[in-house]
Amino acid sequence: MSSKQLNMVQAINSTLDSFMARDDSIILLGEDIGKDGGVFRVTDGLQAKYGTERVIDTPLVELGIVGMAIGMAVSGLRPVPEIQFQDFIFTAFDQLVNQAAKMRYRSGGSYNVPMVLRTPYGGGIKGGLYHSQSGEAYFAHTAGLTVISPSNPYDAKGLLSASLKYNDPVIFLEPKRLYRSIKNDVPDEDYEVPIGKASLVHEGDDLTFVTYGSMVPLVLNTVSKNNLNADVIDLRTIMPYDGETILNSVKKTGKVIIVHEAPRTLGMGSEISAFIAERAIDYLMGPILRVTGPDTPFPYRLEDYYMPNETRILKAVRKLQEYR
Amino acid sequence: MDEKEMFVNAYRTMVLARTLDKKIVTAQRQGRVGFYTPTMGQEALQVGMSMALEKDDLIYEYYRDVPFMLHRGVPLETLIDQIMGNSMDNEKGRQMPSHYSAKEYNFMSVQSPVATNLPLAVGAGYAIKYRKKKNIVVTTFGDGSTSTPDFHAAMNMAAVFDLPVVFLCENNKWAISLPVEKQTKVEIWKKAEAYGMRGLKVDGNDLFAMYEVAKAEVEKTRNTGEPVLIEAVSYRMGPHSTSDDPSKYRTDTIPEGSEGDPIVIAEKKLKEKGYIDDAQIENIKNEAKELVDRKFEEREKVPPPKPESMFQDVYENPTWIIEEEKGDIL
Ligand SMILES: Cc1ncc(C[n+]2csc(CCOP(=O)(O)OP(=O)(O)O)c2C)c(N)n1
Ligand SMILES: [Mg+2]
Repeated sequence: MSSKQLNMVQAINSTLDSFMARDDSIILLGEDIGKDGGVFRVTDGLQAKYGTERVIDTPLVELGIVGMAIGMAVSGLRPVPEIQFQDFIFTAFDQLVNQAAKMRYRSGGSYNVPMVLRTPYGGGIKGGLYHSQSGEAYFAHTAGLTVISPSNPYDAKGLLSASLKYNDPVIFLEPKRLYRSIKNDVPDEDYEVPIGKASLVHEGDDLTFVTYGSMVPLVLNTVSKNNLNADVIDLRTIMPYDGETILNSVKKTGKVIIVHEAPRTLGMGSEISAFIAERAIDYLMGPILRVTGPDTPFPYRLEDYYMPNETRILKAVRKLQEYR
Repeated sequence: MDEKEMFVNAYRTMVLARTLDKKIVTAQRQGRVGFYTPTMGQEALQVGMSMALEKDDLIYEYYRDVPFMLHRGVPLETLIDQIMGNSMDNEKGRQMPSHYSAKEYNFMSVQSPVATNLPLAVGAGYAIKYRKKKNIVVTTFGDGSTSTPDFHAAMNMAAVFDLPVVFLCENNKWAISLPVEKQTKVEIWKKAEAYGMRGLKVDGNDLFAMYEVAKAEVEKTRNTGEPVLIEAVSYRMGPHSTSDDPSKYRTDTIPEGSEGDPIVIAEKKLKEKGYIDDAQIENIKNEAKELVDRKFEEREKVPPPKPESMFQDVYENPTWIIEEEKGDIL
């Protein structure tokens, strides 16, 4: 089995490439994705290979990109729109919530939207208020959308491959901080990481971490540096999240810390803690804790204070250690 | 079909649509229907456009397009089932009345947020061009909808990418209570120039004028693959919806059966051309009434959707979350 050391940008690029090579219904569209290869170079070289009709440099209009992609999808194509930064998606929010998400339902199953919307999200790159947001909860709150976020190149390929065969709209959130910071062995051959299945990336008995996206490497480093005897669950699919894997772990450890960058109030941590409280309260040996971004906009100079870090995670761990 | 037959058929559809319109409005007042957005006044422009189209053309319509749908062959049952939201409805009773869907006839399902169908129509146009097909897309919307960002985005993209999309603005002069003069400073058809596409205005109350323009423009779009904006000037003869009372904001009206009524205008021209006489008109009206009454009574007996259908079609396969919620509720 051959494989290559790839970063996430390369893994996504090569996955798009191999799918485009065999399926001419896949069309990429977005701002500066063609000649320029995208501002993060994720689509680099694809226009040269597949032409301007399949890798479309669009006018600067997010609602137009998404709306057009929905129309293409309904007409039998498999569009992969890119929103340059997730922060700029909001003018297209109506198209996502009221068109893409509801198409199958409102048409009684006559029409569906096989579209994979890719967009870089999250902080840690000195992007300030408008190049750092983590808006996953907005999308996860919308029936009809499927929300995915890989935490490493291997999963990025596997999840994107599954998404490109999925028949409903996917919001594929790429943690931009991890674009080039981690390399994995990524098999050359096809494989899928199933949608809706979390991954237990570290095993232990005392404590469960539930996290995803850019926070996964942080939690893993914290766990290994401090010899924590903990389960670490990488959700991979944010919606529908893998409740079974969470419950199995919580029933074993009795203690949970949820870690995400997005603001605490009504973030995914709120949903997951309610889910655990509803079904496993008898197993809990301490409060469900959240280590998250604060309920402020994302600050530029002070982003290190905004992002969850080892110190804040350890503070939560110590608090739980007091419960025996 | 020869020209006479074509226009008599068009007229028959206009009458059928008007008859259905009045039936639903009456039924709404009697509490048999929840809500409705009447089409009265916009029959000629829709049927005139429909006459110019081919079977495989795609329509991204809005909530006031009953005559358009009837003319393309959508059965009365399909429309009435949607209005009732019953178990035979294409949409399984999920949408409020006036939000039809008829994939068999290439009608997209109607959404409420106005003009959000326009960018989709552009995407459909892209798919046609990409697959080198010869069909075209028609998308419809009201005068008020031209103020939206979606209108702007769609017009711009259709022109930039040279796509075979006919933008049909059904200017009925009102957007609920806002007259078109307060909606925009320029005439709607003139906006086309700013985007780099053909634009023109037509008397949408005149079936013959509408057909002529639609035929010519559809042909151009089909042959060149380029978009066009057609402003069909008409008038919303009824209220915005069955929940609306227009006397609060307007005094001008075109009463049914008056000179400005598109059905009266059509009758006059059809008679002038010798295509139809009073007896035939009478006959067409009676037939429409009998048919609509019969179908309406019949469809009222169709049972409502089964509760479990509420949990279907959110995704291709229901998530464990939805399955669980279904178990809790049912
Ligand atoms: C985005 C959006 N805002 C508001 C509404 C509520 N609304 C429904 S119809 C309408 C007026 C639309 O007027 P126009 O586009 O002229 O179409 P008409 O109803 O006159 O045919 C409004 C404001 C809506 N459906 N969508
Ligand atoms: Mg109007």
